[in-house]
Amino acid sequence: MDKRKSLIKIKPKKFKNGEVVKVSFMVMHPMATGMSKDKKTKKIIPAKYINSVKFVYNGQEITNMTVWATLSTNPVFTTYMKINGKGKLTVTYTDNTGEVHEKTKKIKPKG
Amino acid sequence: MKRRDFFKKLGVAAAVAATVTPTMSFAKSKPVSKNHITIAASIDAVTGGKKPKTSSKVKLKVPEIAENGAVVPVTVTVDSPMTDSDYVKAIHIFASKNSNARAIDVNLTPANGKAMFSTRIKLGGTQEVVALVALSNGEFLIASQSVKVTIGGCG
Repeated sequence: MDKRKSLIKIKPKKFKNGEVVKVSFMVMHPMATGMSKDKKTKKIIPAKYINSVKFVYNGQEITNMTVWATLSTNPVFTTYMKINGKGKLTVTYTDNTGEVHEKTKKIKPKG
Repeated sequence: MKRRDFFKKLGVAAAVAATVTPTMSFAKSKPVSKNHITIAASIDAVTGGKKPKTSSKVKLKVPEIAENGAVVPVTVTVDSPMTDSDYVKAIHIFASKNSNARAIDVNLTPANGKAMFSTRIKLGGTQEVVALVALSNGEFLIASQSVKVTIGGCG
């Protein structure tokens, strides 16, 4: 696995079972389209972009995405999820060069 | 005819009319390069040829003017109960004139609780951002919004 910086953010920070919360996954990734040139070398920068993302909550895949290089560099993926018990949320992505990255956040509902 | 029958007929006619019309400017878009698949063809590839309907249930939020085409925020929200029998299956986002019109396909489940997706995309120039929504009942809804781009985002 790589060492990319990534983050899972949940809003609000305190929540109960049954609540629907906003969840964002952000990662420092180039999302290079393969269609632009390096300004110094004049060579095409090879395509390197996230092409798939999965959100798995307590073993259940709640969202999956097919992604193209159209997304901005250092992409953000924001959606909602229904809180349904203590456990963990794991976000995994793959990119077109075979890179795989996983980030996990503990889910601790209050009451 | 009775008043309620009149309104019923009006509703059906309105539903038929509110499909992708030729006045949606991306409907006639031509390929920008030899590899470009038109956005209309991209949408057809997702719907299997079924015509999506415009609906006030789909809210597409993008800036009218994007100062930086490299980071254009896009948020799609769909009014849906997100129950097992009635939920949004997928939100697809397209950029009408990028050489690759596809941006992202987000496959949702009732466990999401709310049908919403937000991200930032690159836009090469002024064009339409399109949100295509797939519902669990097999229907497709669509919304589009033009974004003026002052500095193109594709490098």
